[in-house]
Amino acid sequence: MTDAISADDIEELIPADHISLSEPPAEKEACIESLLDLLVDGGRVENRERALEALLERESETTTGVGMGIGIPHAKTDAVSRPSLAFVRSQEGVDFGSMDGEPATLIFMILVPETGGEEHLNILSSLSRALMHDDVRDRLHEAEDEATVQDALREAIA
Amino acid sequence: MTVERTVTIVPEAGLHARPASAFVQAVNDHEAEVSAGRPDGDLVQAASMIAVTSLGVGQGDDIKLVADGPDAEAVLDELERILTTPEEELDTDDG
Repeated sequence: MTDAISADDIEELIPADHISLSEPPAEKEACIESLLDLLVDGGRVENRERALEALLERESETTTGVGMGIGIPHAKTDAVSRPSLAFVRSQEGVDFGSMDGEPATLIFMILVPETGGEEHLNILSSLSRALMHDDVRDRLHEAEDEATVQDALREAIA
Repeated sequence: MTVERTVTIVPEAGLHARPASAFVQAVNDHEAEVSAGRPDGDLVQAASMIAVTSLGVGQGDDIKLVADGPDAEAVLDELERILTTPEEELDTDDG
């Protein structure tokens, strides 16, 4: 495995405009689209339709609801040319069909280029490792602005 | 009874996507406490999808499995089957 992501990567992976602190749609697929739109608006996605297709295909294989209130829809697709991360959080919870039955309240999207090799697994595992800590999840829930979300990720991933 | 086994991961996806969900499901379907991790690293709860995802183990990587409980041997057999079966041949029992 190549190195996991580091704190220095956060600004490149997830600039403030990839973060939304307003309530996302309550339904999983619509929620995934709203995350995708953050990346589209951020100029990261060359082909929205193809990116969405890749994300939904991955979901149909098995859900990306990993439990503990976390959903991480992700895909490897040539619709993006560099690794990109987006974040929304939900007060209501979005049903991601996770095995522990917990609705997702912290939801991240990862898109990596087709040529990214194991990069998406590295981002996915670094993020999962960070999110296993209660204090990290609490900070993400309590963050009042995008910069605080970035700081929480930076410190958790360092 | 505590049993331990190290398995090399065969599915192309690594311990991710379908193989990962079959893995976590199998742990939850057996009466055993299972932990998993890289042979030289910390072990995590194998019954938790986020914990398993955090390992980031890919195709060709070794994973160490430690099981404790009445089904310890059976769960390791099933986990080994999942980890050594190419993804397209994996028949998952989600029911």
